[in-house]
Amino acid sequence: MKSSLIRPALALALAASLAACGGSDKAEFTVAGSVTGLVYDGLVLRNAGVPLTVAPPTTAGAAVRFAFADKLEYGDTYDVTVGTQPAHQTCAPGVPEGAYYSNNADTAGRLVTIDIAISCAINAYAIGGTITGLTGAGLVLANGSTGGTYTATAPTAGTTAAPFVYQLPTVSYNTTYGVTISAQPAGQVCTIVNPTGTMGDAAVSNINVTCVAR
Amino acid sequence: MKSSYLRASAALACAVLLTACGGDDGQLLLGGQISGVTKTGMVLTNNGGSDYEVPVPSNGTGVTTFFFPGLISSDDKYDVQVKSKPTNVDTCTLFQNSGRAGFDVTTIQIACTFKTQALTGTVSNLKNDLVLINGSDRVIVPAGATTFAMARVAQDAPYGVSILTNPAGQSCTIANGVGTVGAADVTNVTVTCAP
Repeated sequence: MKSSLIRPALALALAASLAACGGSDKAEFTVAGSVTGLVYDGLVLRNAGVPLTVAPPTTAGAAVRFAFADKLEYGDTYDVTVGTQPAHQTCAPGVPEGAYYSNNADTAGRLVTIDIAISCAINAYAIGGTITGLTGAGLVLANGSTGGTYTATAPTAGTTAAPFVYQLPTVSYNTTYGVTISAQPAGQVCTIVNPTGTMGDAAVSNINVTCVAR
Repeated sequence: MKSSYLRASAALACAVLLTACGGDDGQLLLGGQISGVTKTGMVLTNNGGSDYEVPVPSNGTGVTTFFFPGLISSDDKYDVQVKSKPTNVDTCTLFQNSGRAGFDVTTIQIACTFKTQALTGTVSNLKNDLVLINGSDRVIVPAGATTFAMARVAQDAPYGVSILTNPAGQSCTIANGVGTVGAADVTNVTVTCAP
């Protein structure tokens, strides 16, 4: 008889103390995290269909914290995805420092706090064009000092290469490019059209090169 | 009895095989990744010896993996250092370059930076702002300026100074805007604007 009285009393005491702690009888988890590399507006994250707009940081280069308003209870699952990409950028779940896997989807309560890593990178597109009339070996194109080079394959001796497309390494959005002829082919002089510009939101394919006999 | 003979002979066979494989040098790789190798002359040493010249990667990036041709043994101490650098390399920083081998050592990181040179020139008759670029490097040359300086450029890198935006009401041309940086500053880029 004695023990049967003690048990309900204990349970009551526990319930009372829990209620006093949290105002609720269950642990709650906030689906939160940080976005790194965000520069432009328009990023919308989604968790279970609920959107959350994330604005770029006021200090360039800083990480942006985000938190969904709806709290989760222990055992609820979450899956944060990129609903809408920001302008000129591509964001995706990243790998937190010191970890091996991205942590955008899990079960609430497995870890003490939910801290999702999302990383964004500026979009980059190829630049290039068509090379026409090449007969000699040695044509090298360069995009400044750090934008990479392109060395044309020499056509078979005595023939003129059919017009062909070349590409230089990609250039990030809003970055300038200036393609110059770093080395002329043997016996020829090449000229270049549309060599300079600032990268927009699409690949550039009109930097055409025309080569004629010297 | 039968099985114990088998075991012994199997162990012997294994030992013979291992010896045949690695000789006396051991059986573990020693290497990692290095950046900044665009010319010959990058020589690495291990424990002060075993000189190894890193081959120049063919893709022009200067980044390559490297492995000492000689293998090391389990529990060997290793200490990799840069003995000599190509002429265009400024400094090399080494990471995880010493320790004691347990498995293949593939995590040595050597990051080398290039010596850089200035890329400058002169402008004449500039009446409004001019925008010059060297690839991704963008410089606004203000009206009335007579000189300009682009970002410094690594030795042996190409350069190509172009006009991104002409000054309002003017058209400019560039002389000596293209070349490859040697061991000296480039100071002869000439921009002439008209009218």
